[in-house]
Amino acid sequence: MAALDATGALGTAGAAAWRRRRLGTVFWLAVAWIALVLLLAFCSPLLPLADPAKMSLLARRAVPSAAHLLGTDALGRDLLARLIFGARSSLAVGLLAPLAATLIGGALGLLAGYFRGWLETITVGASDVLLAFPPLVLALAVTAYLGQSVPNLILVLAMLTVPAVTRIARAGTLGVRERDFVTAARALGASHTRILLREILPNIMLPLIAYFLVLVAVIITAEGILSFLGLGVPPPLPSWGSMIAEGRDNLDVAPQIAFIPATAMFLTVLAFNLVGDRLRSITDPRRAGS
Amino acid sequence: MLDLVGRKLIYLLPVLLAVTALTFLIAALLPGDLALAMLGDQATPENVAALHQKLGLDLPLWQQYLHWLRHVLSGDLGTSHRTGETVVHAIAGRLPVSLELLVIAQLGGLLIGVPLAMLCAVRPDSAVDRVVSGVAFGMLSMPPFLLAIVLIFIFALRLGILPATAYVPLAQDVLGNLRSMALPGATLALLEWPTILRVLRSDLISTLQEDYIAMARAKGLTARRILFVHALKPSSLTLVTVVGLNIGRLIGGAVITESIFALPGIGRLLVESIYTRDFIVLQGCVLFVAVAFVVVNFLVDLLYAALDPRIRHGRA
Amino acid sequence: MPSDNRARAGLALAAFAALACAMPAGAQTRGGSATIGVEQDIAGFDPLIVGVYDTGQEAAAVLIFETLTRLDGSGKPAPGLAQSWEHSADFKTWTFKLRPDVKFQDGSPFNAEAVAFNFQRQLDPNNHCRCAIYVSNIAKVEAPDPLTAVFQLKNPSPNFAPILAPPTVNNVIHSPKAIREMKEGYNRHPVGTGPFRLKSWQSGDRIVLDRNPDYWDKERPYLDQIVVRPLPDNTARFASVLSGESDIIWHDRADDIVKAKKNPNVVVNEYAGSGAQVYAFNTKRPPFDDVRVRQALRYALDLKTYSDVAWEGLWKPAKDPWGPGSFVQCKDSGALPYDPAKAKALLKDYGKPVEFKMVVTATPRGRQIGQIFQEMWREIGVTMVIDQVDQTTLVTKAFRRDFDLTPWRIIDLADPDPQAYANFHTGSPVNLSDYSNPEVDKLLDDARTSGDQERRVEDYCKLAQILNREVPWFWPLDNHYFSIAKPGLKGVPKQYSDIIDLSGAWWDKK
Repeated sequence: MAALDATGALGTAGAAAWRRRRLGTVFWLAVAWIALVLLLAFCSPLLPLADPAKMSLLARRAVPSAAHLLGTDALGRDLLARLIFGARSSLAVGLLAPLAATLIGGALGLLAGYFRGWLETITVGASDVLLAFPPLVLALAVTAYLGQSVPNLILVLAMLTVPAVTRIARAGTLGVRERDFVTAARALGASHTRILLREILPNIMLPLIAYFLVLVAVIITAEGILSFLGLGVPPPLPSWGSMIAEGRDNLDVAPQIAFIPATAMFLTVLAFNLVGDRLRSITDPRRAGS
Repeated sequence: MLDLVGRKLIYLLPVLLAVTALTFLIAALLPGDLALAMLGDQATPENVAALHQKLGLDLPLWQQYLHWLRHVLSGDLGTSHRTGETVVHAIAGRLPVSLELLVIAQLGGLLIGVPLAMLCAVRPDSAVDRVVSGVAFGMLSMPPFLLAIVLIFIFALRLGILPATAYVPLAQDVLGNLRSMALPGATLALLEWPTILRVLRSDLISTLQEDYIAMARAKGLTARRILFVHALKPSSLTLVTVVGLNIGRLIGGAVITESIFALPGIGRLLVESIYTRDFIVLQGCVLFVAVAFVVVNFLVDLLYAALDPRIRHGRA
Repeated sequence: MPSDNRARAGLALAAFAALACAMPAGAQTRGGSATIGVEQDIAGFDPLIVGVYDTGQEAAAVLIFETLTRLDGSGKPAPGLAQSWEHSADFKTWTFKLRPDVKFQDGSPFNAEAVAFNFQRQLDPNNHCRCAIYVSNIAKVEAPDPLTAVFQLKNPSPNFAPILAPPTVNNVIHSPKAIREMKEGYNRHPVGTGPFRLKSWQSGDRIVLDRNPDYWDKERPYLDQIVVRPLPDNTARFASVLSGESDIIWHDRADDIVKAKKNPNVVVNEYAGSGAQVYAFNTKRPPFDDVRVRQALRYALDLKTYSDVAWEGLWKPAKDPWGPGSFVQCKDSGALPYDPAKAKALLKDYGKPVEFKMVVTATPRGRQIGQIFQEMWREIGVTMVIDQVDQTTLVTKAFRRDFDLTPWRIIDLADPDPQAYANFHTGSPVNLSDYSNPEVDKLLDDARTSGDQERRVEDYCKLAQILNREVPWFWPLDNHYFSIAKPGLKGVPKQYSDIIDLSGAWWDKK
């Protein structure tokens, strides 16, 4: 069956077979890329890289050479160093914001789906209200007024993502709570906390993780857009979005200045999308065995 | 059916009210005193206090909100202190541009997505299907500004056949307008078609598996007839929903596309009002976009309920 | 009035003097439309609402409105809406005789009452006009008869006539009738006496002006229509003149200008003006209350490289705030050289770590400049944080002294006095650095009131030496103004005060 479409019930038998069929080479390539990017970003201060802010004003827009493996940008800064440090910024925001959103939204959705009633109505209503606002504009407004900084970015992007996660968590919880083992647990007198943590949470964990990965892709893109508009990660911290924006002015003389970070961003977003999507199609609660 | 509408309406009203409250709150809480912004260097403490009183900024927040809401309900979204133009006038001037872009984007997305979806659905898992689905997936991962830059690079810089920024109003020159909307429209269409493809494709695949299709095939109906008449029709509902939701989302103006291609649409108005600290325009614009989103979603919801026989007949 | 023998800065609505002498052989034609690409979106024209005009507004204002005087090709004041003028012996009272039979575009008459109305409106404290600072020297404007306007000044101003010439927010004459009737709506419906009038205004997209058939000079204008399009995106604006969508654009991206110079399909107009691109330290805030820090930061600037890198060498390093286009040319202004060793020594002497914020405009260019300065100062161990704001906020912060270091402009004007006085004199609201030096004040007062050109040059040069030494401000680059245009667009004067003036332009049909 096609990669992007979930099919059939999954039994425990043939698990290895499905793993081989479902996750293919492309999946593992994506995982490898993500691991590489994470590693480089994490270890960037330890790597023998040039200073990403140092301007060699006499070697601007240089083509790749021994001194600068990927060349330099319009201000003579080493592109490789900026690329890797840019990964650091983009991933910091790209991982922390969805993480916060998943934790908060997951908890909210879980509680709303389990207890239902007014809690659910308010949560869903609030989500709907928040989702009505143009997210980019809100993010722009917050960074423009409250100041550009990585913490502010993480904060506002996390807040804008919570409603989406809440929806997923709630939908998952609704699907699980009616199942036999939950009813059984309740009949046996288990406390709400116990049911939530022991029975329901593990069952929505995988879809949430899968969604988290897709969110990473979305947030990296969002940060890229904000940086592109000049309101993302503050200079001189490089970020892929601001590198692309700076490279745009040099498209006709030195297109690589824009296209190198663009390729990195595209591949990373693609990788996270791929992994998240595959996991999502596997763990789709609608198809999980009953 | 009618009580379904009634129920949805009852839910809609508090949402709309909350949207107005949140809009007001956001604009009010953003740092930056409106009076200071208006007075500039004339902002002595006395002047600021006087202007506060005149604008009602010294009243408690909930009173200011009600005051503002009253104006909004009577059609007055305020006047920009920077330009003297009313917000309604500013929006009305920009809306046609964003709408035109939106229509071109959706049509383009459908023109690409629907045929490709049909192509894939009849041969799931084939090489064609995998390639198309792969490309669609790749497009989804493409940041919008990147696509815009690539298109400009190819068509405007290297080939020089399409303009990058010369927006021509429709009223002035239809052909020129279409030419100037080609690249931005293409950018958005290329970003829309993957979603349309994925949704329609999976919908078609499951429809094609239904018994009645097998029966039609057994009866000897041609593949094309089966595809278009029997398979596509039920999926049209999903399509309508997707397009409807996109419209709701894009009414806010495709901010990036409008900025890069210099289109005077609503997205750009929003961004400019942020840069220029034009609180009143920001507030009015955000309200308009948010309300439009909620209303369009509501209508799409109703449409879905009206068209989907399962819901109409009470089976969810 | 200044007399000098060099062609120099000043706004030349060159129509009369220059054009009359320089008409090419029979190629001047009537008709046609021209599109100007400007940088910023135009908010409006009402001084009370916008406070100050930028280059985009001025490009439109010079078409819709007129001012009392103009500057001819050699920078001397020539008649505009005023036909003649005289002043009192103490240069504090100026009497202008106005041109008769001039009407505003709404049919109302232009007269002394209109002139008085325009200036009084700016000065009225109840109006809180952000434009009031620039006309602070005017105490009162009276209209003893319909064709006579009398200006009473607070301080002597020997150069008052040319000061009134450029189409700035203060100088252009609006129709009192239109303002009274439209109130806030006037901002977007400007009415002046100029050769073009407003036809339509699509918010955020373009302003269309068409020929004023009732213009008092029956020979002018030549063009039928002018469209002013704000194109904030640099790449977009440059592309628009290359593709022919714009006929002339205001531009300051060095890379593009270099490219345009090589392109046979466009011409680059260039003008080295007076004034400079400047920055003001807030001397009331640490660390800039200590002259050593200011000097250190200045020593750390390699202006030659800055000019080459950020501006392709098109804007040259400045030695003083007067500039290449000014009649004030100093032999030695005492500009500090690039000397990072000295900078580090001064900081060591200061002893404390130096960290501050520098305001930049929230544009790609602003960010780029910020990063370059950031890097140059990092080399001497100083930490600078970039504070991006939009243009409006920048001006507000500057006036409220809410900054450590801010950019500013000393624009190309006929005379250095208005801006020098405003920027450097103790107590002036535009003395952004709040620098106070009695010697500087004395030099400024002397230059303001003296009629002797050479003495004034001496005053200003001495002033530059003091300022270069004390560094309350610094001036990295001089003012070069550029526009890129189609070769067939003729009759465009030099970009005095950075204003693209198409009021006398025509299409060369050859």
